[in-house]
Amino acid sequence: MTHSPVDFLIIGATPLARLLAGLLASTHGKSVLLQGERASGLRLSHDLDLSVGAMTRPESWALLRATAPEATRLISRIGKRAAIARLDPVVFADHPAGQQALGHIRHMAAAHGVAAERTPLNYLGAGRQGVVLRDAVLLRRAALEPALDGWLEQSGVRQLPADASLHIARDGSAEAMLDNKPMTIGQTILADDDAILAHLRDSAWPALLHRQNMSTILTEPTLPLAAPVMCQLDDGVLLHQQAGGGILAQGPGDIAAFSAMLGNLLGEKHTIEHAGQTQSVRLRTSDGAPALGRLHGTGADILAGFGCIGAFLAPAIARWLTGTANAAENAWFGARLINRGTANRSVSDIGAAR
Amino acid sequence: MRGQPNRLAAETAGPFSGSAIDRRQPLQFRLDGRTIAGFVGDTVLSAVLASGIDAVGKRGDSTLALSPRFAPAIIPAALATDTQRALAMERTPAKDGADYVTLAPRKRQVLIDGLRRLASPSTTLGLDLDHPAAMRQPWLTIAGVAETPAQLIVVGGGIAGMAAAVAAANAGLSVLVLEASPRLGGHARLFGTLEGEEAADASFVRLGAAIASAPNVTTLTHAAAFALRPGVVRVHITDVSGPTPTAHVVDMHAPHIVLATGTTERLPLFAGNRLPGAVGVRDAYDLAEHYGVWCGQSAVFATASSAAYRLAMLARDAGIAVPRIIDARPQPQSRFIEYSKAYGMTLAAGTIIAEARRASQGRGLSITPQLAVDGFNRTEPGMKVDRLVVCGGWQPELSLWHMAGGNSQWNAQRQRLEAANGPDGIVLAGNAAGHLGHQACLESGQAAIDALLGRAPRSVSEHGVDPIYETPDAATPIAPIAGAGDSSFLDGGRSCIERPTPTPARRHDWIKGASAPDWSLADGPHALGAPDVAAGVQLREIDPAHAGRVAQQRVPMVTIATAADRAPTAHVSAPLVPDFLTDRYGSDAGLWLIKPHDARWLEAGALIQPNSDVSDPAAAVGVVLRHNKDGCIALLRAGFAQAGQTAAVCEPGRATPVRVLSAYPAEQV
Repeated sequence: MTHSPVDFLIIGATPLARLLAGLLASTHGKSVLLQGERASGLRLSHDLDLSVGAMTRPESWALLRATAPEATRLISRIGKRAAIARLDPVVFADHPAGQQALGHIRHMAAAHGVAAERTPLNYLGAGRQGVVLRDAVLLRRAALEPALDGWLEQSGVRQLPADASLHIARDGSAEAMLDNKPMTIGQTILADDDAILAHLRDSAWPALLHRQNMSTILTEPTLPLAAPVMCQLDDGVLLHQQAGGGILAQGPGDIAAFSAMLGNLLGEKHTIEHAGQTQSVRLRTSDGAPALGRLHGTGADILAGFGCIGAFLAPAIARWLTGTANAAENAWFGARLINRGTANRSVSDIGAAR
Repeated sequence: MRGQPNRLAAETAGPFSGSAIDRRQPLQFRLDGRTIAGFVGDTVLSAVLASGIDAVGKRGDSTLALSPRFAPAIIPAALATDTQRALAMERTPAKDGADYVTLAPRKRQVLIDGLRRLASPSTTLGLDLDHPAAMRQPWLTIAGVAETPAQLIVVGGGIAGMAAAVAAANAGLSVLVLEASPRLGGHARLFGTLEGEEAADASFVRLGAAIASAPNVTTLTHAAAFALRPGVVRVHITDVSGPTPTAHVVDMHAPHIVLATGTTERLPLFAGNRLPGAVGVRDAYDLAEHYGVWCGQSAVFATASSAAYRLAMLARDAGIAVPRIIDARPQPQSRFIEYSKAYGMTLAAGTIIAEARRASQGRGLSITPQLAVDGFNRTEPGMKVDRLVVCGGWQPELSLWHMAGGNSQWNAQRQRLEAANGPDGIVLAGNAAGHLGHQACLESGQAAIDALLGRAPRSVSEHGVDPIYETPDAATPIAPIAGAGDSSFLDGGRSCIERPTPTPARRHDWIKGASAPDWSLADGPHALGAPDVAAGVQLREIDPAHAGRVAQQRVPMVTIATAADRAPTAHVSAPLVPDFLTDRYGSDAGLWLIKPHDARWLEAGALIQPNSDVSDPAAAVGVVLRHNKDGCIALLRAGFAQAGQTAAVCEPGRATPVRVLSAYPAEQV
């Protein structure tokens, strides 16, 4: 019986988690275990991965603009052309607070070189305001995820089955059984909401993180939306119209409540017939900014609240975890540690938990 | 029979003379302008099928058969624009003089088709099934009127549902039994009983009498439950009491709900499996037994289940030629098989249907059987038949269960999804709960009530027969992919999911990855019923370990929203300084009125830089918040802001010089 030391155990199934595992192994030469199964082909996906976000922080836009091209090149190399789509998402709002935020998003995006234009009056409907963010990259998970499997294998990332014996210690190290061999793991990273919910004890739950019921609904093909990806700020609803015309929508509440909300949002012209639905618990921070790092400076690393942009920050996160981040990255991550106080508003952004 | 080519003659129909119809009372009604003949007791669907219309329309190049599971919604012609009053063909009684129209768009008839129709009556409703709304059921989008009719609702009036209703009544509960079809009883008679079990007819009579004599049991037929959440069943009820059938949607509230929804018949997978002329065993039995409807004079049976043999014998008794029974099982054994052999029927074991095509001349199908045993395949000589009766086995009907949040899992031995744990207040009974035998279904009705009332669990005994004597159902037969035949569908219902086929190589496939699909069966933009998921597992398109979750996620759910769900979210007015700007320009940043040098409109969110040469957003000293009657309000860094200070508001493509006027009065914030 031999003990195989492993540097990192990544727990998570999102592209962020899987890219992070591969980057730590391939770019940073770490030994990595990954526990997390891809969603595509197996179940409805909860989230979108987009190279732009509804953000107003200059440093967040700066980091994203610096890292997204690097992530896009990597993803294109892994999944070829089919893994990404370029499109012009629309961020929109019906109510004053959301409409106020639109202006801030537009100007901050434009200040960082993103062509951000107001939608024409009444283009989205009476009283509805929107901003188009040009030339964003959307990850096509159905094509990317199988390719990621191959890349992870090539990179030497080993898969830890979901039912494998695993014990995460309070200091973040872990012990697991893989192929009947005990593995000693240096550091655990809870890289998506499901992982955090499964492994973070209630007694250690940070005040910054809030659980929120979210539902995902896939509709039967329906009329075209104004843009293939739309983000509604008022309630935090994401809409992605897929190639066949079906809309993948994610928003707050249980399925019945979100279905009613979706009907109101899309209007009578769009007949909403469910082609799929699922309910889950998602995590939001109380100030709307991402949160990462170790609680009280020890324990498993947590990655939470990254929203759509997480996968595009994966290279920077990998650098930060391995101590090779640049000054701007260190400053950004350092300001967003999970143990920052809830009274600290220095990084607050749109999308705070309500 | 004049105008009803698919109605069996009363004199020769024997067991299929039609128990629900009164042949002494003929009637006529119109559907899409076409005159349909029938009898009192017919449904609109049974009369339409009897009149020779056996297709709904075209989907791509494939013509799809009309069936109880695939019939379009109809509406009285006088109410054609009021789709909220739509009716289900299979639940609407035929009424003399009625005039109905279907709701779906039609394929345009080209000239040659029009001439052909003049020569002989069309056998299709002619709907354009490529149109997304073709098979729309408008009642699915109607919110129900709330009612609280009983303490317990039983969904499904088959033997298990009836047993549950009687058990609940005996326990003192008020009970409502909802049955989608026009009558109670289900399909127990088709499946038969084992030696020592109560005969299906006897069970029906006994339970029917108990229900009729129980003052606390109400039965509602023509009532299809189509949505469920714990405590509420949404039902589309066809009111047949008046001269004109009407329909309405009701949300029925009850603390206890029993789902005795039976099974769905699996469709064997082969090209042309939904062509007119191909029919499932249970649909064929229902139409023949209740309405005397049978298409053609000969039928080949292709099955993976012994139930088909019983129908084959009844068909022979009704004068239908049965040249062959094709059984996917290599060495099937059943008492029904022995009886069938005694009838002189030819059995082809270890054989499946490889393909069906519409016969080149006249009606009927050309079918191609294929010997398929232990990996050995051999195409058999083709046959032409009037009708192909198929049975791919049985899948517990779990749609409502999944809608309510119930779980399920794949049973690899039985090759079907079976229910697992579910929500409080809802239990399954009968075939839906996975039971097979008649006695087990009866017992499961009582067991369901015990479970709901928190009593000690009652075991349900399956009286199995040794496989030597009764071969279990085989997995649903799957033919090899045909070349250029008709489509092969995963199920016979409304989902219309075609079997995935390999995409032929195209010119630009050298661009690696360029043509990769952006969805798969498990996450594509289409709802999946449990039979679709089961087929997906058999085709290795869905991981069996995830099949239960896929089935729950992809059930064609209709949500039952509460008043709170429907209420719009309350949105507070926007604060002058939103949370995301707090401390952005320092904790002591202040509100100031600013004014552009020129008559310019400053947009909220625009960054304020110390001067027009600075464009780095991280160097901004403030931001424009909004306009009011006093001017433009800005949030400015404390060290920068003072009256008379100049700055530049950066907007895409330009910088607008501004002057700081004065601090914005705190009392106005």
